[in-house]
Amino acid sequence: MNKTLTLIANNEQQTIDLAIQVSKYCYPGLVICLTGDLGAGKTTFVKGLAKGLDIKEKVLSPTFNILKCYFNKTLNLYHIDAYRLEDTNKDIGLEEYIDGDGVCAIEWPQYIEEYIPSHILTIELLSLPNNSRQITFTTNIEKLFIMFDNLTIRKDDD
Amino acid sequence: MYDLILDSSDKELLVAVAKDETIVDKIEYEAWQKQSELMVQELDNLFKRNNINKLDISSILLTIGPGSYTGIRIALTIAKVIAYSLNIKIYPFSSLQILQFEKKPSICLINARSCRSYIGVYDGNNTILKDQVMKNEDVLEYIKNHKEYVICGDCGYLNLEGYKNDKCLNMLALKSFIKPTDSFHVKPIYLKD
Repeated sequence: MNKTLTLIANNEQQTIDLAIQVSKYCYPGLVICLTGDLGAGKTTFVKGLAKGLDIKEKVLSPTFNILKCYFNKTLNLYHIDAYRLEDTNKDIGLEEYIDGDGVCAIEWPQYIEEYIPSHILTIELLSLPNNSRQITFTTNIEKLFIMFDNLTIRKDDD
Repeated sequence: MYDLILDSSDKELLVAVAKDETIVDKIEYEAWQKQSELMVQELDNLFKRNNINKLDISSILLTIGPGSYTGIRIALTIAKVIAYSLNIKIYPFSSLQILQFEKKPSICLINARSCRSYIGVYDGNNTILKDQVMKNEDVLEYIKNHKEYVICGDCGYLNLEGYKNDKCLNMLALKSFIKPTDSFHVKPIYLKD
């Protein structure tokens, strides 16, 4: 069974705040696939996850590194950007991070399809006019269903 | 002259020195994803606390996989640099074979992730099943069909208790069966390619 939720974030801060909310439900081995065009806010969302996990390091897109690791007491965060792995050798040991001891956020998951497990949280970001974003959450992980009842857009002054 | 032993093919970091088939000293602990930062430092500690001159190393015993993609390459890179600079040989070992229980046929296992295992079945120097990647469900089936074999390795991911042998002693015991190779011809074994 799949569960889906669509929310509209009116600005970057609200996207980050949503990610902070999501981070509270993260656990070792969770895979979060982020989809959306360039500039849709995938890396921004991961910044929010990192903030929620109390990671102090600055999160930048791993477009060239492919993988960045944030080792952290609460939960390790692995950030993969598979964009540059299209039509190349993908055998670089990514499964040790995807099926690992932390939460793994993957941008452009379609380029490493064979490594994506069957149970994931998918977050689709879509740019709307006025700098807002439509964010759609989908999952088949039952223990995340409760998160879908609790995610809300909190106003900036909340 | 000393044998240098290096392994970072899975979660552990292992550096050791041996002389005349006997372990002089070793450092071994779990260091998942930290081996690249620690291995050279630990080597230095090992040499210093035993007053070993690096020039007295005459060969390197090294695991070349299968196992962690990055892990294998850490010990391998360090071994190659040392072997090249000292002009000595490397003895490449299967990281599965050295997990075996020396007295019985052993099913040696390493977690390959994505519901798969690296498996190799050994009876001393005899290979019963050569190193390969296998689905965990097939591994469990294989174990069920070979109850007389000992399960070896860190098998918590299969909810099994694996026998944990001394990797150093296994490497020393198997050394005479391994063909030494020069530093340019040692390659990592990564069975998923």
